[in-house]
Amino acid sequence: MDLSVFVQLLLPGLTTGCVYALVALGFVLCANVSGVVNFAQGEYVMLGGVIGASLLAHTGSLALAVLGATLAGALLGAAQERLTLAPVRAAPDFIQITITLGVAVVLRGIALIAFGKDPLSMPGFSGDGVFEVAGAVVPLQSLWVWGASAAMLAAMFVFLMHSDAGRAVRACAINLQAARLMGVDAERLTLFVFSIAGATAALAGVVVTPIVLANWDAGIAYGLKGFVGAILGNFRSPVVALAGGLGIGVLESFAAGYVSSGYKDAIVYGVLLAYLLVRGGVFVFGRAALLSR
Amino acid sequence: MKRRAALAAFVLLVLAYPLMVRGSYPLSVGIITGALAAGTVGFVLLLGYAHQLALGQAGFCMVGGYASAILCVQHKWDPLAALIAGAAAAMALAWMIAAPILKLRGFVLAMASLALHLILVVVAFETAFTGGALGTYGVPKFALFGLPLASDLAYYYVVWAIVLAFVLIGLAIDGSRIGRALKAIAASETAALSAGIDIRRYKLLMFVLSAGMASVCGSLAVHYLRAMDPNVFGFAFSLNFITAVIVGGLETVWGGVVGAVLVTGVREMLRGLSLPLWEGVIMGALTVVVLIAFRRGFAGFLGALYERWTSRDAPPRVSIAEPDNAALASHGKPAALELAGVSRSFGNLRAVNNASFHVAAGSITALIGPNGAGKTTLFNLICGYQPLDSGSVSYENRRIDTLLPDDIAELGIGRTFQNLQLFDNMSVLENVMCGRHRFVEREAASRSRARAALAFVGLRDAERLPPSALAFGHQRLVEMARALALEPRLLLLDEPASGLNDAETERLAELVLRIAALGVTVLLVEHDMRLVMGLADHVIVMHHGEKLADGAPDDVRREQAVIDAYLGIEEHAAA
Repeated sequence: MDLSVFVQLLLPGLTTGCVYALVALGFVLCANVSGVVNFAQGEYVMLGGVIGASLLAHTGSLALAVLGATLAGALLGAAQERLTLAPVRAAPDFIQITITLGVAVVLRGIALIAFGKDPLSMPGFSGDGVFEVAGAVVPLQSLWVWGASAAMLAAMFVFLMHSDAGRAVRACAINLQAARLMGVDAERLTLFVFSIAGATAALAGVVVTPIVLANWDAGIAYGLKGFVGAILGNFRSPVVALAGGLGIGVLESFAAGYVSSGYKDAIVYGVLLAYLLVRGGVFVFGRAALLSR
Repeated sequence: MKRRAALAAFVLLVLAYPLMVRGSYPLSVGIITGALAAGTVGFVLLLGYAHQLALGQAGFCMVGGYASAILCVQHKWDPLAALIAGAAAAMALAWMIAAPILKLRGFVLAMASLALHLILVVVAFETAFTGGALGTYGVPKFALFGLPLASDLAYYYVVWAIVLAFVLIGLAIDGSRIGRALKAIAASETAALSAGIDIRRYKLLMFVLSAGMASVCGSLAVHYLRAMDPNVFGFAFSLNFITAVIVGGLETVWGGVVGAVLVTGVREMLRGLSLPLWEGVIMGALTVVVLIAFRRGFAGFLGALYERWTSRDAPPRVSIAEPDNAALASHGKPAALELAGVSRSFGNLRAVNNASFHVAAGSITALIGPNGAGKTTLFNLICGYQPLDSGSVSYENRRIDTLLPDDIAELGIGRTFQNLQLFDNMSVLENVMCGRHRFVEREAASRSRARAALAFVGLRDAERLPPSALAFGHQRLVEMARALALEPRLLLLDEPASGLNDAETERLAELVLRIAALGVTVLLVEHDMRLVMGLADHVIVMHHGEKLADGAPDDVRREQAVIDAYLGIEEHAAA
């Protein structure tokens, strides 16, 4: 195997993988605190991209574009939680989850109307240059993606491990009911987590836009691939979710490079299906399967 | 009545629509609406009845669409045969992915079906036999038994006849034990299991059925469009399904029909206003708003309107009849239960530790102990709600500790719950009929057996009420009647007297004796000492997860360890 080809596929895979990882983390955080799988998670990445790109085009200020996109993600995440989930907290799960899907459709629709059908582009944060690693050519913007992701993950880690709110989130992950009984203010925490998830996804979206463009209908793919990461960690472990997201990015890139770019999505989703079938126990019957869930 | 009125209105509107409109455009809208309705009727069964969301339902439309296109164009199949083959393929595919995936918790099936759909899109683009990105052209018009349908009008009627057939299938499911089982699952999975209802089986059934109907939707649309390509049934089409059934109404299959009409109507209106880009926002917003504010949807609204117009009779009065001893026949030979070395830990807590005892056939055995002694855990272990760490449970000399709760109920082990678990979405009678689930019998037979069980516990006149309209003590009796309807040979009662007043407790004691006289072994967990000592002929005392004593009530009462651990403290506190 040619090392430079390998690296040429690995590094872009890690770049998109960072986005999937952040989406996966958003899934896990929201699911643990609110009990709801937020199907709109991927749309925040898309929104970050289109809002950032058009802010930059209109104002010319990169800082404003990045800040604006992140803030929009946080506000929309909070609005989603307040307006569409808080009123139906007592409703059956499938209702709440279907609502998050409806929100995803609204967000896509708004993006389509406001920013148009055509993909938006954005220059790299420090120019459109490239650098070389082991014979592979990588856009400079990848460094921004990796750096921003690492910074967000570090902030998230500090938050989860060293703050009261973070401890509360971890308690919810272990036992939502018990955490609420112990006085965790689930209402506030849910709002907080949804806005954090929206903000990190949107920031990831704006940082990755110079490499992949921002398109109104890209949200489903981000959501589904992030979901793969989240489900690998069983919607519990943020670390596995992260690793899963990164892994999906790399897998996708390898599938495109070594197999066929037309089939890359089919391969990623095929891996998801295969994993679910095995987890669900194609080979396990009866009690063991039911009780392991 | 309501059902007949709805069917009549449906047939009338379908017949009249072509007469009321002019030109081919409204007719083509009618055909596309009908094709969509064929799929959305199935989707109500999935989302509204089985409470499973699928984000990739259009994937099954693709299966049907490509089956019709490829088989009719390249292999010259009869369109009807191709439609059926497509539906069979879609159902097989649905079964293959859902059978394992429905064992997983959470909304994994939703994403799995989306993944399947997106894989199908890629395959359709990349392979030659589908025609790739260009698709397959020249699909013939639909034909019935070799007779091609020359006019669009004829096709319109055929499409809507298929919709009617699907609606009738849906209504038949709604009124059957399957529909009842689905309602029971929706209200309380725990209680559904105790009635012997296999949860996964019914969810799987609805997923497979809805996939078949979605496939027919795809076939019907493709015979009208006369071409099939990978973009016909995209993600947006799946969203159409979801919006349609939510706006239309999730409670009845009519919601699927109404929703298909509304969704097509909104889309055509937006086209008329030259605002096609707004479709997503409006559909999404409708979905969210209806789910938050009008969860019954438009069909639910119509149903409520009809009821307000037609219902004149006052709500039935609750009067509780005298229990009817002769209502139930003997259940036959009572069964024995044997526990050997049963243990179960939660983390570091040994909830049940090496418990062994025998529940004699025909006995009334009481399981007592202070709070946290492990009594309810023991019940859950016996009934299969939790796995044992070690040990064995045998019923009639047969190991049952590897069985699932619904299988255990099916063997004739009934149970009630400490916290009432009734199905609030059904009448009292239907609640009890759920207990008949393990018997495959006619509805009339099921109804009369359920009535007999209600008469036995003294609730003959409450059958039409929702359980929530009854007093707490009577709700407990409904739960007992449901467990009795299962014709158990062993009945487990989890604190049946909690929340009852003295008179009710006395009546409960009589009821338990009468149940035992039917030939039912009774095992009960109870705190009320008077009840236990008066009723039980065998008492087992648990403490800190271990069995402390085991014997006749009078012997147990004298044991010093028991007095120290439990009775002494209680009497002391009472004094």
